[in-house]
Amino acid sequence: MASKNAASGKEKLIDEEQEILQAVVLADSWNRRFRPLTTKKPRCLLPICNAPLLDWTFESLALAGVQEVFVICRSYSEQIKDAIKKSKWSRTGSGMKIVPIMTAKETYSAGDAMRDIYTRGLVTGDFILVQGDLVSNIQIDEVVRVHKERRKTNKDAILTMVVKEAGVQHRTRSRGDSPIFVVDSETSECLHYEPSFAFPKKQHANIPREVLAEHKEVEIRYDLIDCGIDVCSFEVPSLFQDNFDYLDMRRDFVHGVLTSDLLMKNIHVFVAKDGYAARVQDTRSYESISKDILSRWTFPLVPDDNYPGSERYQHTGGNQYVAKTHPATISRTAKIGRNTLIGASTRIHDNAEIIASVIGPNCTIGAGSVIENAYIFEGTTVGAECRVTRSIVGSGVEIRDGSTVERGSLIGDGVVIGPGAKLKPFERLSVPWKAPASTAGSDEDEDEDSDIEDIEASQDTVDKASLGPESNAIVWIDKPPEDDDLDSPENYNNLKYMRLGEDDVTLDVHHSDKDTESVVSEEQQLQDSSDEEDNYDDHTDAESVVSLSKDTQGGLMADKEFRSEVNQSLERAFAEGHSVDNAAVELKTLRMASNVPLIRVKEAVVAAIVEKIPVLEGAAEQRTEVNKTIARWGQLINKIGGVDPVETISLLQRHISTSARMSLFGQILAAFYQSDVVEEDDIRAWHSLSTSQGIDLPLGEERENMGKAWIVGALMIHQLDQQSDSEEEESDEDEEASD
Amino acid sequence: MQAERGQHHRSVEVLASKLRRRQIVGSRTAALETLVVLRQVVSRARFSNFEQLVEIIRGVGRRLVEAQPKEHSVGNTVRKVLHHIREEYQTAVGQTGPQAGTSTSGFSISKFVLQGQPRRHVPAQKTEVKTTLKEDDPEDPDSFSKGLKPVLMEAIQDVLDELETVYDNVSKNARDHIHPDEIILTLGRSKTVETFLKTAAHNRHYTVIVAETGPSYDGREMAKSLSSAGISTFLVPDSSIFSLMSRVNKVILGAHVILANGGMFAITGSLIAATAAKAHSTPVVVCAGQFKLTPLWNLYHEYGAVDFGNPSDVLGFNEGELVNKVDVVNPYYDYVAPEFIDAYITNDGDHPPSSIYRLLKETYDDEDNEL
Repeated sequence: MASKNAASGKEKLIDEEQEILQAVVLADSWNRRFRPLTTKKPRCLLPICNAPLLDWTFESLALAGVQEVFVICRSYSEQIKDAIKKSKWSRTGSGMKIVPIMTAKETYSAGDAMRDIYTRGLVTGDFILVQGDLVSNIQIDEVVRVHKERRKTNKDAILTMVVKEAGVQHRTRSRGDSPIFVVDSETSECLHYEPSFAFPKKQHANIPREVLAEHKEVEIRYDLIDCGIDVCSFEVPSLFQDNFDYLDMRRDFVHGVLTSDLLMKNIHVFVAKDGYAARVQDTRSYESISKDILSRWTFPLVPDDNYPGSERYQHTGGNQYVAKTHPATISRTAKIGRNTLIGASTRIHDNAEIIASVIGPNCTIGAGSVIENAYIFEGTTVGAECRVTRSIVGSGVEIRDGSTVERGSLIGDGVVIGPGAKLKPFERLSVPWKAPASTAGSDEDEDEDSDIEDIEASQDTVDKASLGPESNAIVWIDKPPEDDDLDSPENYNNLKYMRLGEDDVTLDVHHSDKDTESVVSEEQQLQDSSDEEDNYDDHTDAESVVSLSKDTQGGLMADKEFRSEVNQSLERAFAEGHSVDNAAVELKTLRMASNVPLIRVKEAVVAAIVEKIPVLEGAAEQRTEVNKTIARWGQLINKIGGVDPVETISLLQRHISTSARMSLFGQILAAFYQSDVVEEDDIRAWHSLSTSQGIDLPLGEERENMGKAWIVGALMIHQLDQQSDSEEEESDEDEEASD
Repeated sequence: MQAERGQHHRSVEVLASKLRRRQIVGSRTAALETLVVLRQVVSRARFSNFEQLVEIIRGVGRRLVEAQPKEHSVGNTVRKVLHHIREEYQTAVGQTGPQAGTSTSGFSISKFVLQGQPRRHVPAQKTEVKTTLKEDDPEDPDSFSKGLKPVLMEAIQDVLDELETVYDNVSKNARDHIHPDEIILTLGRSKTVETFLKTAAHNRHYTVIVAETGPSYDGREMAKSLSSAGISTFLVPDSSIFSLMSRVNKVILGAHVILANGGMFAITGSLIAATAAKAHSTPVVVCAGQFKLTPLWNLYHEYGAVDFGNPSDVLGFNEGELVNKVDVVNPYYDYVAPEFIDAYITNDGDHPPSSIYRLLKETYDDEDNEL
């Protein structure tokens, strides 16, 4: 560590502080998209391009000069710990200290893991948070620098998310979980985060009006890959601790922080221009990231250069990589296509064809077999005349002669199929759980056990003839669960979009399924997904209108109850002499709790303040009383959020028209003006509003009073025009007018 | 000895991982870093005879070369240090072998054959050493290393000095190569070429055409730097290299690696420029420090030797639809065969490609070609 410090000393000098860079790796995915490949090992130890995912992640962090890494492991934590111990990272001179942290089995989400980080007090300063499935060559230290720079001026900037520009149709961009970011173009502050899944497909995004109102220039972006790299300040874990319902890093934490009026924290986005970063979050991205690595987008993280695994590869034309230290044996008549990786000591027999695939070490590919876009792990044997297309095949699998593995299949470790097996597309196979249970520590995760038991129990109903006579496999049946949570990306239909080998054409095939209704809408969405961006503006416009009317309705219903709550709260504030800030916070909480729009709160506050002014006999005493009250409480109107003085005046006018304090309108308005609650321009703006005259109201006292108030306003403006310098005069005349 | 290597492990490993991660790029930087590490290693090394010392240095060299085989200057520096150390050792023990005579006088084919043979002094040494330095002294195993270390440090310092002055030494004869009112074509941003041209500008008035050199577009930087030094500079797109060649008097290129056959690896685009120059019989001159000489003959047979980089320089990652359908090949270097090159200007004089092999023999010891 010491030498590393010395080596990066130059950068440190700029930072002025000798702080070691820490990173936290969440080595659990909290979902099951890779099953059954992950029944016996954690996802982060699955190989991608023949090196465990976790090693790619570490290499990505090492590139950024990270010195200390905490790996939060839950499932199969022993395996992860072992893997770290055996890896090159635990040798001296690796420059990185890696500490595996075992967390409880009750850690069900990223949020729980963050709370665990907080309780253990692992991090001391700003840190990098990544997922254990990251492949990146982005200079994260640059992001950290930007983050720290920002923190110097803005203490509320707690998080910087790294995203990569990719284009809507990019292969590496997840379709199942493709959020919309609303970003301030100038400060790159993230203003709004809208999760979006492939199913149920969103027709429009809800962007809060304030976002558009308060920022000069905003970017609404749907073309970003969320790299899952966050530069966090030390208070992030504590925020998780405070908000125990935050589960997901993005949908709960980011969304929560951005929508909260109470936290007042900012989240920023770093759009990476150079470099590559992506997460292996589903089998689909497994494929695309493998392809990205082989076509060198991750350079220098490529098999023939800074490769995280131990084997060295030779790079030849058409991005073919063949193991160098333990060379593979490839028959002269075998055809090796482009973008292919062939592992150490693998044997490829006559006339076999390997196209755009990754073959692990110690594999055997039989004569005449065709392997296309497939990912085969260590020690697997494929017999003669087989065909494997767009699938992931685990380690130690035997695919016997003449078998066909159709696209999208996942074959778990140790499965034997064939000879002559014909798998259907998207078939998922594994060995029965019971057999290896004694060795693999089955008590690791009970609910995962029960999951497998279910699958095993339903084996009788499955026709296994297609698996071949010598097969030992059990079939994972693809059926929608009873309790499908559409708000989660893990819902049944959405998961389909994350599968390897699933493309638009495939989804058309599914139209014959029983869930026609949803599928029809899927189809429509696929068609207009290309011009989606163009339509965005329309959608948001339409939606903002809808949401407004909805809000008003909801507000009216809770109005009465809310009104009395506000009054009680204010009475308490008045009586106990709270500070304006405290009262404002209390009102905000109240508003959130009863979910009413801002205008209701304002209305209530204006009313309460007006009613607080005692009615007195003498004009002078009355004026003092008005000024005193407004000076003390006037600012509260603006503190509760959404400063809009014109609205304030309108509310005051409307309230006072039905109140016993009608005569005080002029004085109150003047007092507002005095205490800077409203400005001269606001009074003019209010006055010029058509509604201010109250003409559209039914005839009666209210309309009459509205009119009177309007005239008072007119007079006041008139006086302001005359530049009357004395406040005395002004209010005197006001009084005359209102009398 | 295992333990000894463990001690330096850290600085070596740090450099190795930096080389792997391409945090250190550029031949000269890599060479300098290697020297610094070697100095550390030698100053801490414990050895009781010369073979042990050589083995320690070679071990470090092997580790570094293995970490980044494409940065050849690392291996070259190690070889050079070994060569110097051997020389110093021989003077220290007062040995006069057949080499002492040949290295000072000029080269001839017959002597070359003699020099190509492995050194024969090793068995003979033992008897003579005793006078000044004692190897394998059982009473004081450190005495040998103590006695030799100052000399070793000096040898490494010599190599370091040479590296630090390499640009100036390459440029010292610049005025002899560039004539008044010539038009020079160059590409990329080689520090050596930059210094060379700027030095020539002190005495000569001439014009430089710089090709942009995609996809890195280093040429733009180069043009900026040259014109700020007061040289009349044109920046042209790569596509116009051929059409402009008829007006060009000389092509000056930088190099990444100079091979024993006289060919070289240089930034992408060099081959185009050299081929165009050949078609117009325009002389091609390569400026490079001696540390780029690499005792390899057929590196260009290896596909990966041109160092395929990131496709994003050529095709934006945000071109989502294309990324899936297009294979991008983005080599960082070109191999320029010896027949395209007229002369190498090094800090060790000017040489035609055909005599590079001889320069190599002079610079390194044959036994170090394989570290």
